[in-house]
Amino acid sequence: MPVNPTRPSRARALLSDPHFWIPVIVLILGLAVLRWIA
Amino acid sequence: MDRVSAIDPGRLRALQRVGMLSGFAAGAWLGAAEAPTKLVTLGIPPVTISLMMVLGVFLARWSLPALVRGTAAVTEDVRQAPHLVIWAALGGCLWAVANTLTVFAIKDIGLAIAFPLWNSNSLLGILWGTLLFNELRDAGRLRALAVLGGAALMFLGATLLAIASATAAPGGSALRGVAAALMAGALWGTMYIPYRKAYLTGMHPMSFIAFFTIGELGMMSLLAIGFSGGVAPLWADLTRSRDVLFWLMLAGFVWVIGDLFQQYAAKYVGISRGIPLSNTNQLWGLAWGILVFGESGGTKVIGGSLLMALGAGAIALASASGAEHKRWQEAGARESERYGVDPAYVAAGLAGQDASAARARRRPIDWVLVAFASIVFIWFASAARVPALHVAWGWAAVLTLALVGFVVVAGVALWRATRLG
Repeated sequence: MPVNPTRPSRARALLSDPHFWIPVIVLILGLAVLRWIA
Repeated sequence: MDRVSAIDPGRLRALQRVGMLSGFAAGAWLGAAEAPTKLVTLGIPPVTISLMMVLGVFLARWSLPALVRGTAAVTEDVRQAPHLVIWAALGGCLWAVANTLTVFAIKDIGLAIAFPLWNSNSLLGILWGTLLFNELRDAGRLRALAVLGGAALMFLGATLLAIASATAAPGGSALRGVAAALMAGALWGTMYIPYRKAYLTGMHPMSFIAFFTIGELGMMSLLAIGFSGGVAPLWADLTRSRDVLFWLMLAGFVWVIGDLFQQYAAKYVGISRGIPLSNTNQLWGLAWGILVFGESGGTKVIGGSLLMALGAGAIALASASGAEHKRWQEAGARESERYGVDPAYVAAGLAGQDASAARARRRPIDWVLVAFASIVFIWFASAARVPALHVAWGWAAVLTLALVGFVVVAGVALWRATRLG
């Protein structure tokens, strides 16, 4: 029986990458600080 | 079993050398980017000034890759690792918010306090590099100490230089100013996570910057519209300052060349060494200010400059060993596995080889991009006005020659070692 090679979903890989959420959180914090001081 | 094979020691030394050279070249060009902005003596809101610079940055970040590699090579990079487009745009958003925060930090607490606070980005970069990307792992105590000690010396030097070059008097809320400066440092230090992520995965710096700038221009435009009170007031600001737009766009262009070298530094020596080296831009910015524009200096400038130079020297001498580089390769293999990127593409990128087969091809769109950027720059140059300002042209020529020297030396070294890969 032929086997289909599986390829990881890149969107899922991105969203489950803990590294991804560090810049996202820092960006949100940055926007919050900007909103507070401006 | 080892998932990666160690890179040839001679090749590693060559890559480390070009990475360090790129870091120093980045410092010189990023510092010089301040020079054209000094010709703008104005009444234009600072956020609008930033937007104008970013417009020049955007044009340069698309025309340079088109000229040097061709957009076909950029497309090939995206095909290999499409997720990096999101990472690059995210990095651009971080830059834009950090840059806007610095404007408020300077207004509230003055440059002397604000600059060292956001310059802490290099220390954060070392933390992220070590925690997330195996930098300084297996480096040996001496090398790790040289990088950490060098970054600390540069931080002290930066503080002295910032005190010496302080021009803006604090006039606002200290708490808000400190928060803005610290947040800018956190954003800029974190911005290097996308950089390192891209280069461990094998992406070419010229592809990365093309998508970085989409986040940069998008976020900067939103912020400028927000701070101006809408599109119409922003447009009015832009048209009112037509005669200085060229200088700001030129600053953006110079900044892009510096940033491109910074990308190569991040790629070949990592963010823990690359960020402190490109932070020498403060020295060059001061040199332009004092020598060319007649700003005041003093003993603090000499002391701060010496400390920064010592710190940069210590970092430059602490290049990555074979054992440490192997840990970087392991981090690259992890990225390859997670995102399903071809391991050969990842390995070629880390070894400084441009894996893109499309490299030599040029498409009509490449020449259209180059021609469009050139026409825009020429058009704004024709409308530019040279302000009445005392400029020491002799020193300007000397520093410009130094810039050319950095481009030639670092550019030739990069070409020989990596074919600008």
